Amino acid sequence: MLNVYKRLWQVNWAEQWQYRANLVMYLLFWLVSPVVYLAVWTTIARSQGSVGGLTPNDFVTYYMTLLIVDQLTSEITIHIFAYKIQDGTLSGELIRPIHPMLTNTLVNNIAFKALTLMTLVPVWAVLWMLFQPDFSSVTWQGILLALPAVLLGFAVSFLIGATLTCVAFWTTRVWALVEFYWALVVLFSGQFVPLQLMPGIVQQIARFLPFQLYKYFPIELVLGRLSQSEILFGYGMGLFWLLVASLLFRWTWRNGLKQFSAVGA
Amino acid sequence: MTPPDDAILVENLTKTYQVSEREGGFGAAVRSFFKRKYRDVNAVQQVSFQIRKGDVVGFLGPNGAGKTTTLKMLSGLLHPSGGTARVLGFTPWELKSDYLRTMTLVMGQRSRLSWDIPAADSFLLNQAIYRISDADYKRTLAELDELLELAPIMKKPVRNLSLGERMKVELAAGLLHRPQVLFLDEPTIGLDITAQARIRTFLQEYNRLTGATILLTSHYMADVTALCERIIIIHEGRLKYDGGLNELSHKIAPFKLIGVAVGNAASPDLSKYGTPVTNAEDGEKSFIQVRAEDVTQVTARLLADLPVHDISISDPPIEEVIEMAFQG
Repeated sequence: MLNVYKRLWQVNWAEQWQYRANLVMYLLFWLVSPVVYLAVWTTIARSQGSVGGLTPNDFVTYYMTLLIVDQLTSEITIHIFAYKIQDGTLSGELIRPIHPMLTNTLVNNIAFKALTLMTLVPVWAVLWMLFQPDFSSVTWQGILLALPAVLLGFAVSFLIGATLTCVAFWTTRVWALVEFYWALVVLFSGQFVPLQLMPGIVQQIARFLPFQLYKYFPIELVLGRLSQSEILFGYGMGLFWLLVASLLFRWTWRNGLKQFSAVGA
Repeated sequence: MTPPDDAILVENLTKTYQVSEREGGFGAAVRSFFKRKYRDVNAVQQVSFQIRKGDVVGFLGPNGAGKTTTLKMLSGLLHPSGGTARVLGFTPWELKSDYLRTMTLVMGQRSRLSWDIPAADSFLLNQAIYRISDADYKRTLAELDELLELAPIMKKPVRNLSLGERMKVELAAGLLHRPQVLFLDEPTIGLDITAQARIRTFLQEYNRLTGATILLTSHYMADVTALCERIIIIHEGRLKYDGGLNELSHKIAPFKLIGVAVGNAASPDLSKYGTPVTNAEDGEKSFIQVRAEDVTQVTARLLADLPVHDISISDPPIEEVIEMAFQG
C-alpha cells in the first residue's frame, strides 16, 4: 500500500508542478484576505494600544501563523473531485481496487499543499520584514503540541470536504452548500478575526464546532496561549469531530455510489 | 453460486433512470426551478444471459440500446434497478477489491490515464495498485509490448499521443494485471483501419494466450466478425438475440445477394428478378436481393436472359442483418 502512495505522490506532484503558474495565481488571490486582516487589525491595535486584550504583535503573530496553519489544514477536494462525479471521469478511478477519495484525492491535496507552502516562504519573509513580529511566546513544546492538532484539523477538514463533495452524487447544486460551509468556516475558525474578539455567544458555539480545529486551535497552541483545560477540551472535541466526520463520509460515499449514473461515456 | 464454467451470469438485469426533462424557453426554465418533471428511461429491461470462461462475445445494438449501461453494471459502476449479475462469483457493484483485481473495463472514448505524464508512469502506478510483482510486471509488459508495439510511445506524455497510440496504452494499462474478464466498450472507435486491425489481432492473441473472457461492444462489424463467435443484440433495453453470428444471418435474413455484371454498358433493370439493392463495395455489378430458396431459379433466369459476364452470390452484409434484427 505504501508503494501505491509513493506512486500516487509522483503522479500528483508532477501534475501540480505542471500547473504551477495556475497555482501562483491562486495563491496570490488567497493571500489577499489574511494579509488585509493582518494590516487592518494591526493598525487598529496600534492606534488603540490593544484590542480586546490583544496587542499589535498578537495580531501580527496570529495572522502570520494563520498563513501556515491554514495551508496545512485546508483541503481542495470539491475542486478536484466534484467534476469527476458529474462528467463520469470517476468511473476510471472507481474500478481500480483502491479508494478514490482516500488515496488519489488525498495525495492530490497533499501535493497541492507542498507546492503552496513552498511559494509561501518568500511571502512570509516579506511580511516578517514589514511587520517585525515577536515570536518569543513560541516554544518547541508549543509547536510539538500543535502538530497533532494540525493533523487532526486537516483530517476533519478533509473528511468534511469529502462528505460535501459526495453531495454532488445527488445534486449539481452542491456548490451552494459548499459556499455556505466556507462562510461558516470563515466565521467560526478564527480566520476573519481571532475568536477571542467574537461576541461571547459566538465563541461558545465555536467551541463545539469543528471549524476552530482548522485554524484557531492550532494557532493558539503554537503561540502558547491556551490553558491546559482549553487544550484538553480542544483535543477532545477534535477527536469527537473526527469520528463524526468519518461516519458522515462513509455514509455519503456508500450511498452516493448507489446514485452514481456514470454518465459521460 | 456461479457454476464453475460461467464467467458471467446475468438474470433479469434491469436499470431504469429517472431523467428530469423540460422544454426549452425561459418560462419553462423558471417553472422547472420550482417543480421538476421526471421521466423514466428504461435503459435495460430484464436482460439475461450467461457467458462461459474464455468466450469472446460481441454486444451489439443501436445507440442508446443499453449496451454500455449493461457493461457499466457488470463492471460495478452502476447499481441495477432490479435483477442480479455475477461475474467470476462476485456481485460487481459491491466493488470488492478482489473483484476489481480480476477484471478490467476499457472504454474507447474515455481515457483513464493521467494526461500529463508518460504512459510508463501510469503503468508503474497500476503495478502498485494491482500489487503486481516485478517479475510478473516485466513479463506482462514484454508481452504487451510485443503485441502492441508500446516501446516508442510509452515515454511520451499521454496528451501527445495520437488516438491510435492512446488506445494502445489504454489497453495495455488495463491489462497489466492480467484480468480474467475484459469489458471493452467500443475499443476501436475512431481508429484508422491499420490500428483497428492491430487491436483486433491483439485481442485474439490475448484471448488465446490467457483464456480471458471478453465482452465487447462495437459499432464496427469488422470487430465483431473478426473476434466474436457469439453475439448478443440489445435493442431498446431488451435482449433481441443471443447466439452465433452465422445463425443470425440464416435466421433473420434467409436471403442472398446476387450480383451481375452485364455485357452492355447500360445498367440493366433487374427488378423483375428480385429487389434491386445498392452495394457500395462493388460498383461494377448490379445487385438484387432474392429469397434463399429462389437463388438457383433466379440465377438460371439471369444467365439465360442477359449477357452476364460476371456473377456472384453472397450473404447480405452483416450490418443489414443486424439492422433487421433491431427492427424485429
